[in-house]
Amino acid sequence: MRSPRLRLGMVASLAVALVFAGVTTAGAQKRGGTLRVAYGNEIAGLDFHVTPGYEMVWVATNIGCGLIGITTDGKFVPDAAESWTISPDGLLYTFKLKQNVLFHDGTKVDAAAVKFTVERIIDPATRSSMRSFMDSVHSVEVIDPHTVQIRLKQPYAFMLHMLAAYRMGLVLASPAATQKFSPEERRAGKPEAVVGCGPFKLVEWVKGSHLVMDRFDKYFVPGLPYLDRVVIRVIKDPVTQMAAFKAGEIDFIADFSADHVDTLRAQNPRAQVMTGKETTPMVAMMKVTVPADGKPMSKERGPHAIFNDIRVRKAIGCYGIDRKEIVKIAFKGQATPWLGIIPPGTLDSVDVTPLCPYDPARARALLAEAGYGPQKPLVFELMTNTEKSVFSVIATVIKEQVARIGVTANIRLVDKVSWMNTATQDGPFDMYVEDLASLMVLDQNTFLSASTASWNSARHTDPKVDEYYARYAREMDPVKRKAIAREFQEFSADKLYWNTISGSPFYQVSQPWMKDYVYQAEFKVLYKKVWLDK
Amino acid sequence: MRTYILKRILGVVPTVLMITLVVFVMMRSVPGDPVVPLLGDAYTEEDAIKVREAYGLNKPVLVQYAIWLGKLVQGDWGTSILSGRPVLQDVLVRLPVTLELVVLSMGVALVIAIPAAIIGALRRNTWADYTATSVAMIGVSIPEFFTGVLLLLFFSIGLGGLLPSSGWVYLPGTCPMMVCGVSLWGNLQHVLMPAIALGIGRAALLTRLLRTSMLEVIRTEYVTTARAKGLAERPVVLKHALKNALIPTVTVMGLQVGFLIGGAIVVETLFAMPGLGTFGIDAIIGRDYQQVQGFALVTALAFVAINLIVDLTYTFLDPRIRYA
Repeated sequence: MRSPRLRLGMVASLAVALVFAGVTTAGAQKRGGTLRVAYGNEIAGLDFHVTPGYEMVWVATNIGCGLIGITTDGKFVPDAAESWTISPDGLLYTFKLKQNVLFHDGTKVDAAAVKFTVERIIDPATRSSMRSFMDSVHSVEVIDPHTVQIRLKQPYAFMLHMLAAYRMGLVLASPAATQKFSPEERRAGKPEAVVGCGPFKLVEWVKGSHLVMDRFDKYFVPGLPYLDRVVIRVIKDPVTQMAAFKAGEIDFIADFSADHVDTLRAQNPRAQVMTGKETTPMVAMMKVTVPADGKPMSKERGPHAIFNDIRVRKAIGCYGIDRKEIVKIAFKGQATPWLGIIPPGTLDSVDVTPLCPYDPARARALLAEAGYGPQKPLVFELMTNTEKSVFSVIATVIKEQVARIGVTANIRLVDKVSWMNTATQDGPFDMYVEDLASLMVLDQNTFLSASTASWNSARHTDPKVDEYYARYAREMDPVKRKAIAREFQEFSADKLYWNTISGSPFYQVSQPWMKDYVYQAEFKVLYKKVWLDK
Repeated sequence: MRTYILKRILGVVPTVLMITLVVFVMMRSVPGDPVVPLLGDAYTEEDAIKVREAYGLNKPVLVQYAIWLGKLVQGDWGTSILSGRPVLQDVLVRLPVTLELVVLSMGVALVIAIPAAIIGALRRNTWADYTATSVAMIGVSIPEFFTGVLLLLFFSIGLGGLLPSSGWVYLPGTCPMMVCGVSLWGNLQHVLMPAIALGIGRAALLTRLLRTSMLEVIRTEYVTTARAKGLAERPVVLKHALKNALIPTVTVMGLQVGFLIGGAIVVETLFAMPGLGTFGIDAIIGRDYQQVQGFALVTALAFVAINLIVDLTYTFLDPRIRYA
């Protein structure tokens, strides 16, 4: 029998061993190496505040730094700001900046740079995609070189979310570099013009070939990043992506085709396939109004010939579409059938899908009530585009499903740009299938679905939608906010200005030797803590 | 000869002008413009109008063409609307990749076609002829992307990464960027599968054509005379028959350059090569008018130049042909 003293000694030894094991694990990260990344789409440009596209965002968040960041569980963490306070009325945000943060051009990240960046974004001449999210900002004041205050016009519950992660969040711009170089030079990716304060600095971008980022040795977080270099290549074909991955030519696929996940898993049992709750909605959007004067984007609106009638919207979008069947066929069951205006993985999302059960008899009855039937069959055009094969699959299933209720859907297949032109420029369409932007918070969907939003492709004119968004964004109590979110999602399901079919799954794939990468869906792709164990 | 070349070069001008004009007008007839992809989420009608004005997209098409042409004469190929990069700079970066691909795929085609056609012609109606003809038929029928995927699955996955699946390594001394993979062996490894994928279809076509020509030539009197004089079969076939049979083949080879550039779009996309093919398709998809014009211009120039070279090759193949 062992004495209590001996047992105590063993326990102490074990504790010491565990502590050291912990130290060893924490310090096990290897420095150096080149991370080889594949993107499925081309980077559109490198003016971070202006250029569209996730591929640009995933570069911006590595070259740039912001005031704050957000963890996967929704906690805000310091980035260039070391601390921040919010006034009791929610109108004044004061950020204390770290003293050792430098831009890649050697200039300091100070309060003036923060003011410069925010003002650049809200300047209409910049045409920033972030501008609509900064509607609440009244002014930015420099208190001292390391203290900056952002004053709001009205309380905005998602100010920190917006600064941390709407699109790329607030990516700070070097005033010196921004003023010295033209927007075209930034867009073209001239390394001297694309200056951030993040862990990596731009070395070279050759469109259609590669983008190279090197470690920024003066990055303000000691010891980070671990990698020497990140090389991003565009490989559009998923089969080629799989071949390159299998051959070990790439370490990480930033956006992998959902159609090929099973094949990749079968071929590469050691591949780390990452996914999460869907944050992107797959929609079958119905057009509600058309320009009364025939001029696209006109403020004078008239009813859409088919889908302005809520009975028809509900007959087709609610009871006439079997969401479960679509998911089973188009996504092999690997997505969530969904109806809400925000997808399952978005904050304050509520499952309102049971409000629209698949019910062909009810759909037929509603159509009859609206005047459609064998004497006057309903025919509409269903637009889809070539960007992803799944769009056409969904369109085909919808065509088949509406045929069961005596409706003809004629599929029109167009390319991505034609779809964008038609959908966003108030062009002629009845319904389109597409997955739209990834949404962290319900509030983020204002730019796609508020009645005044340019991307309000359904062109609904209901101010109640805007009221819901405003109430939700201004309510500072999370419990009350959640209640508003539920009410709004039920309202949206009833009106069907926005018709979600399902979530749209997102996949990333990494080699087993790529360590400490944290999956954050489409929102962020960060390499600063990544290291290579090989 | 010099006068002939000069005349041909001058003749290039209206051809290229016509091609670029047709492309210019056609691109603007396609629905959509580059403004929406450029503005993305920040799209408003007011912004779109301003951007169209800034790029002169609100002007009549022929005025836009005249402006583009005026700048081209001064050596300015324009700037990509979407990326903001000078088009000529991007063309020069990508041209060597496609050039190498096209030349090597034609090389692959000839390496396969010449022996197959000779065997087919000399051993007509034997199993060798049937095999060559059948393989040629299969080769013509299989599209480049399918051949490419098969090669990819075999060499990159099946044989454990024997050949790299994608990307590009430049030949020593040709890297047009700051960061490049540079190695002769690496270049060969990267170009081999794309060149085979692109060349195999052409090989099939040339085999059929050359076999037919060879069949005609080997029945001619001068070949019979050569044999009667006691010449060995090898010089009869290679020097007398093949050289003459090549004339129609060379003509088709010149015309095939257009198909090769078209095929390069598919093959470069599949193998993720930074060549002119992907440059062109990205431009068309994004409605990047300036980039499309750059692609059309360089393609037209390449096509015309290669056909000029083909015409000059006739004098080597048949000394009776003289240009004045």
